[in-house]
This record gives sequence, C-alpha cells and structure tokens, in this order.
Amino acid sequence: MVSLVRAELRKLLGLPTAWVGLVLGTLIAPAVVLLNAPYIRRAITAGTLTDPSDLGLRDLGIGLIGPMILGVIVVSSEYTSTGQDAPGARQLTATLTAVPDRLRLLVAKTTALVLTVAAQAAVTATATLTLTQVLHGEHVPAPAPTRVVAAILYWALTALLAYAITLITRNGIVPLTLLIINSSVVSVSYLLTKVTDLASYLPDIAGTQMFLRDTDFPVEIAPVTAGLVMTAWIVVLLAIGLILFQRRDA
Amino acid sequence: MNTARAELRKLLTLPSLRRTALLTWAATLLLTYAYASAESRGEPLGDPTALAPLGYTQAGFLVLGVLAAASEYQEGGQIHTTLLAMPRRLPLQAVKALALAAVTLPVAAATAATSTLPASGATWMPAATAYLTLTTLLAAAVAGVVRRAVPAVILLLGLYFIAGPLLRARPGSLAAAYLPDTAALNPSRGAAATIIWTLSALTLAALTFHRRDA
Repeated sequence: MVSLVRAELRKLLGLPTAWVGLVLGTLIAPAVVLLNAPYIRRAITAGTLTDPSDLGLRDLGIGLIGPMILGVIVVSSEYTSTGQDAPGARQLTATLTAVPDRLRLLVAKTTALVLTVAAQAAVTATATLTLTQVLHGEHVPAPAPTRVVAAILYWALTALLAYAITLITRNGIVPLTLLIINSSVVSVSYLLTKVTDLASYLPDIAGTQMFLRDTDFPVEIAPVTAGLVMTAWIVVLLAIGLILFQRRDA
Repeated sequence: MNTARAELRKLLTLPSLRRTALLTWAATLLLTYAYASAESRGEPLGDPTALAPLGYTQAGFLVLGVLAAASEYQEGGQIHTTLLAMPRRLPLQAVKALALAAVTLPVAAATAATSTLPASGATWMPAATAYLTLTTLLAAAVAGVVRRAVPAVILLLGLYFIAGPLLRARPGSLAAAYLPDTAALNPSRGAAATIIWTLSALTLAALTFHRRDA
C-alpha cells in the first residue's frame, strides 16, 4: 500500500498542471492579505469589521482553487490521451495493469491527494495567519487551533469533492467550471441560499461554517455539524464515483 | 468558402460543444429564475437582474471557446489534417474565428434573451449577445495559444472568476475599467476593454499559430 501511495504521489507531483494548483493555491491567500492590508486597517479603525477573529481565515477561502485543481487533475490526467501519436492510449490502462484492484487503487489515490492537499493547506494557513498577525496583530486575536485545523480540513474536503465529481464525469472541465464559478466572490451557492434555505446544506456553504463565525447564511450550522454535512456529501459522491469506477470500462 | 464550410461542419459536429451550449443555457434559465424569485420576495441580490445571471454563465461561453479551439490539438492531432488541407495559416485562423462566431451567435442570443427578457432588460440584449460572442472568441484565442483544454480553462476561469472580482473589489480600484469582463455587468463601461482584449488575443493567437510548429 505504501508503494502504491508513493507511486500516486509521484504521478501527481509529476504533472505540470498540479504544480500550477500547488503554487496558485499557496500564494493567492497570503497575497490577498497583503493587498487588502490598507483597506482592512481602515475598516478596523472605523470599527466596521464585525468579527476580527475571522480575518485571516476568511482569506484562506480564495486559495481553494489550488485543492480544486489538484482534486480534478489527479483523476482527469488518467483519462487524457498520452500523446498525439497514440490517441487511444491513456495512462489509466498502465495504472490498472500495475494495480488491477480498483478499490486499492482509489484508496491509494485518495490518500495521495489528501496528503498533498493537507500539506499545502498547512503551509498556506500558517503563512496567511502569520501574515495577518504581523499586519494587524494588535486588533486580531490569534485564531483558535481548532479553527485552523477545521480550515485545513475544509481544504482537504474541497479537494475530495472535486476528486469525487471528476471520478463521476471522467472529464476535468465540468467539475473545474462548476467549482471555480462557485468559489467566486459571490458564489452561486450563496445566491441559492437567498432562494431556498435548503441551499445552506450545500457542501461549500456548510463547509465554511466549520471555521468562520460571522456568516450571513439563513441557517446557522454548528461547526461540527457543518463538518458532518460536508463529509456526508463527499461520502455519497465518492461512493457513486467508486461504484462507477468499478463498473465502467477503463 | 470551402474552408468556411469545413470549419463550420467541424464545430457543428463536436458533441462537447452541443452539450456545453445546452448546459449553459439551462444554467442561465435556473439563475434567472433564482434572481427573479429573490426579487419577488423583496430581497434583490444586488447586481442588475437582467445581466447578473450572465456574469456566471459566461463561464459556459469560455468553455465553449476553449473546447472549439483545443479540439484540433486533442488526441489524434486533427490539426495536422487541417493544415494538410489548408496550409495557409493566417487565412485559416481568420476563417476559424469567423466560423466560431457564426456558431456562437445564436447560442449567445438565446442565452442573452433568457436572461434579459424576463427582467425587462430587452435593450441590453444586443450588447449581451455581442459580449458573449466576443468572450467565446477570446477564450478560443487563448486556448489556441495554450493548446490544451484543462489548463486553458483553469487560466480563463481563474482570471474571470477569481482574479477579476478580487481586483474589482478593491476600493478605488482602476483595474475595473480595463478588465475584459467588466462589460458583463456594465456594458456601457467595459465595451471597449472587451473588444480590445479580444482583438489582441486573436492577433496573438494568429501570430503564434503562424510561427509555431503544429
């Protein structure tokens, strides 16, 4: 199993697009904290900021494009053709020859993905929160460790969400489009919460409530419940993905 | 003329384009409904209702452009065949852009109508149609340079949905007027930017296509 995970890690980190995700995801959030610093300082002195303890954590959300790219690419790279001269050849064929047990393969893939994203999230969270402390230290309380862990968990779960959707669609473009539009400043899920209260249980809306306090969603979900709601979404989607992966021709 | 017919047929027979167009239109319908129902409950969602759904579903048109251009470079390398049949690259690139515009225009018109007409914003419809068509051409130009669908989609969606809103949200930001997608919500302000961005991207794509190995 260890060698499987190592192989999957090496495959993932050998993809140029994966490095785009790693670099973008890690740099965006600290960059936003830096760029917004003057504006936030003004807001703090004017007293318009409702909950300063959310400050650095809220900026983490913008880096989520990183885990999304990683989660999509880890599956979609298996399905893209390996070269123009051999249009039918896909990496998945070689992978399945090496690991015919599809369940074991998916477990290894999932582990590799979670390890990579968790490492990335830990680095990004440390950088973003340290930067927030340095810039606005006197006004912002140091975030509770549980909330930082919840934010890292949210990153890993978002990567798994992207991964599960890609397992179902077997194509990177659909999940990327859906997820990136939804990570925009005003997300589609947020719009839907204005239409129906049920939308509060969408994975991204529930997920952010694991570590943010000051949200204006119609239904407030306690952090642990929020984590469970998001995990439930991912378990269901992963189960569908696994069944399809085992049933369908490669 | 033959080239135009060939390019049109290639675009019309791509199943991925048909699916993208349908999904985009359906998503617009859904969002228009969401905006309308929020409005009728007396809590409007901010942006002008006639155009706001298009701000999201323009993603579909970005994907449409990317898929149209990247399909030549996908498995099998169709571009080699295309160039055998039509070796003059600059005219070929021009015909490709025109054919894509011709295919996109009806989809853009239908999508724009879905979003603007229920919100009684019929005057915006021509502008929105033009904007969506130009956005598709811009995406196709970018994908022609990148040559791979997924990285091109990441690049474009990252710019339109993450970098753009961030730059625009900064108070006193000048960037807003110069971004290619400002026109999505404010046609009178961002029209020039959209046209200039699209034309430069098309020029860049034509030049790289002319110089680079296929």
